[in-house]
Amino acid sequence: METRPFETKHLDKWRSNLDSCIRCGYCYEHCPVFKDTRWESNAPRAKMIMVYGLLAGKLEPSTYISDKLSSCFYCGRCNAACSSGVPLTDIITDAKRDFQGTGFETPGTTTGTNTDCALCLACARACPHEARDFINGKIVTDTVKCQSCGICVDICPNQAVATNLSYGTDRSSLNREISTFLEQETAKAIVFGCNWSYYPDLQSSVMDPAEELEYKILINMCGGRLEKPLLLEPLLQNAWGVLVACCPDGDCEHDGNLKAKIHVAGLRELLKEMDIEEDRIQLVQVAHGDKTGFQAAIDTFMENLNKLGPLNHR
Amino acid sequence: MEKNDLLRLKNIVGKKNVKTDPADLYVYGSDSSVHSARSWAVVRPENTGQVQEIMAFANKEKIPVVTRGAGSGMCGQTVPVRGGITLDMKRMNKILEINPSDVFCRVQPGVVDDDLNHALKPFGVFYPPTPASSRIATIGGEIGNNASGVRSVKYGATRDSVLGMKVVLPDGSLVTLGARTRVEATGYQLHKLIVGSEGTLGVVVEATLSFVPIPKFRCLGMANFDRLEDAGAAIADIMASGVVPSMLELVDSVAIKAVNKTMDLGLPEVEAVLLYEADAMVKEAVDHEISAMQEVCKNHGGTGLTSSFDPKERARIFLGRKKLFPALSKFSDILSSTSLADDMAVPYSKMAETARTIHEIAERNNIIMTAYGHCGSGCMHTKILMEPTRQDQWESARKAVAEIYDYVRSVKGTTSAEHGIGISKASAFKAEKSDSLDLMRNIKKAFDPNNILNPGKLMDAHEDWVTATDLRYTVA
Ligand SMILES: Cc1cc2nc3c(=O)[nH]c(=O)nc-3n(C[C@H](O)[C@H](O)[C@H](O)COP(=O)(O)OP(=O)(O)OC[C@H]3O[C@@H](n4cnc5c(N)ncnc54)[C@H](O)[C@@H]3O)c2cc1C
Ligand code: SF4
Repeated sequence: METRPFETKHLDKWRSNLDSCIRCGYCYEHCPVFKDTRWESNAPRAKMIMVYGLLAGKLEPSTYISDKLSSCFYCGRCNAACSSGVPLTDIITDAKRDFQGTGFETPGTTTGTNTDCALCLACARACPHEARDFINGKIVTDTVKCQSCGICVDICPNQAVATNLSYGTDRSSLNREISTFLEQETAKAIVFGCNWSYYPDLQSSVMDPAEELEYKILINMCGGRLEKPLLLEPLLQNAWGVLVACCPDGDCEHDGNLKAKIHVAGLRELLKEMDIEEDRIQLVQVAHGDKTGFQAAIDTFMENLNKLGPLNHR
Repeated sequence: MEKNDLLRLKNIVGKKNVKTDPADLYVYGSDSSVHSARSWAVVRPENTGQVQEIMAFANKEKIPVVTRGAGSGMCGQTVPVRGGITLDMKRMNKILEINPSDVFCRVQPGVVDDDLNHALKPFGVFYPPTPASSRIATIGGEIGNNASGVRSVKYGATRDSVLGMKVVLPDGSLVTLGARTRVEATGYQLHKLIVGSEGTLGVVVEATLSFVPIPKFRCLGMANFDRLEDAGAAIADIMASGVVPSMLELVDSVAIKAVNKTMDLGLPEVEAVLLYEADAMVKEAVDHEISAMQEVCKNHGGTGLTSSFDPKERARIFLGRKKLFPALSKFSDILSSTSLADDMAVPYSKMAETARTIHEIAERNNIIMTAYGHCGSGCMHTKILMEPTRQDQWESARKAVAEIYDYVRSVKGTTSAEHGIGISKASAFKAEKSDSLDLMRNIKKAFDPNNILNPGKLMDAHEDWVTATDLRYTVA
């Protein structure tokens, strides 16, 4: 890869914001990239420290750093948690700009398109960030504009779009987690929690032995991106039920909650047709930050599920 | 670090749990303090056996090891001044046992404080030392710093809640310290010595902690004072009155101004605000404590007295205190809120005088300082607001910090209440503990003859914190 001397054209303006970062680390608690890897260098605080290091000449620009800075889902949880009003995601975007301007091309969590693409351009039309374009006969992602929201992944009829680095949020990682959890004897349900909600679970620690848990909350990037096969998977693996949590009406920037509602309604119909209690799949809408409400919804769901009993013993 | 050394470490924890990229080392080289330095490798053990192997290897090769939890320390405790290995404990994050009948829990050191409390809640109990940073702070780091928090006035600091622990010593051997019982008089209480030792004596790989019932009733009150001295007198009187508040916080005028300037909370611009809380299993007990504290505040000229049991209203009353950190950071575009002279403890009767002295020292040295803290436990916090790119401001900060700790010693206070010593408070600590430093050095030697665990901290730290390491800021 050809790189030019690193210029901090876009990052320069953030010097004083970076000085005001008190490095408390509050921004990494809910970061999905940190939570998946548990390396501090993947956390938002680290991103700010790396940008600081670049501006101060204490770090040499590298593909490694560029990749770290491009790994962000723009969920904004860090901005909301920041002790000092540091606009983290804006700084991350400018870091991507400067890296791109210098010739570093690191995809990070942005989306890529494979050869199954039928060039229908549905993704380019749907992208709210104008990050997908038809150039020289193929769909190209602008890695600066792309905010890894995943709408293109969701919308592509050919499943030709995927997030380059998914940090545990992709279908196969979620499937793996489902299987691992459901192997446990006490496992009864999978709860899909949207990253945008404050889910009422342990954030960075685990219970041991974990076998005692009846349900597991799996974090995904949006309820709307959980396709029907993924939602059905736990039931195929003998779970008693599935709860899908998403944002209240009007709160989702890209109507992911409406899609989730449609998916869940469709599956409830399907269960009914198969003479299975439809309440084994439920949707709950949780306001941002409402940990208590979410826990209450899970408790009610589990109570009901315990009345229904296991699926395979009906 | 030699290639062979890295290979050895990778053999112990697996290739993907060792990092040596300059970016990783730079990130892991700082915490919430003003300091910055780089280790040679970041290593993440998953279990006790791996910690033992790493320590035995490091001891043999005389490689420094700095144990790290969340890296939220404010005094440079996890800044690797002599390089070596940063031992990241965040993978050892299991809650091993919650035992309600024997009133203890066992956890690995990487468990996050808020997570532990979340897991304890269904049992109707909580782990009380909880620092303000509990959302990320790990139990290992809290043990390292002897952390405490707003409720420590009633429930004590970390040391009071730690019943026992398993510790890997620098030579790789594993020792079990303390017990699982409420009381113990079985020889030296070495687990209590590990608490607050800032990772210099051993690596905690498991901790046994006690917990207490969650009180059914909690009431938070607030009083405004036109004169700081009146608030100070109220603090001393409350603490002498036999009342046991579950929280007693002081917020000074600089802090109030900062909060008002940045977030329109409309706090009264008085010299001091006191926040007081009582909790108990029966409401009458809370009523009794709250009215006693209100009475004391009234007697000392406190105005605008309000109190509430309602969680939402309590959150509203506490908002100004809660938003203090962001407010200080946003106080001005050119000033940064630095973690310097960040904490100390003084006798209750000296709280107001300490706050006043901090303001005077700040003014004399051309910087801005605020004074706030968990005054019910004698704890006072400050922040220095300064232009971190200006060399002369660091000179001012150096002078101000020295003057503040000279004063603290003169009133028989102590250098740290809860944030610990690390690098930035080391010279004040050495001045305060001058007659026991040799004893501490001998203890350190008995545990760690090769001085590999967190070297360059506490007694071993550089005299001048400004030049002890690189500063994390770019100073012109
Ligand atoms: C915004 C903010 C607010 C804060 N508020 C408070 C407060 O209210 N009260 C308070 O007390 N502190 C407070 N702190 C300071 C700090 O967060 C706490 O002391 C916390 O307990 C440190 O935990 P940590 O996991 O980040 O530890 P680290 O910073 O990673 O480590 C702290 C020390 O413990 C040692 N250590 C870590 N793990 C182990 C282990 N397994 N074995 C042996 N030694 C170990 C380290 O070597 C180091 O010396 C605050 C910090 C910030 C940034
Ligand atoms: S929360 Fe804000 S102030 Fe704290 S480390 Fe993250 S960016 Fe810095």
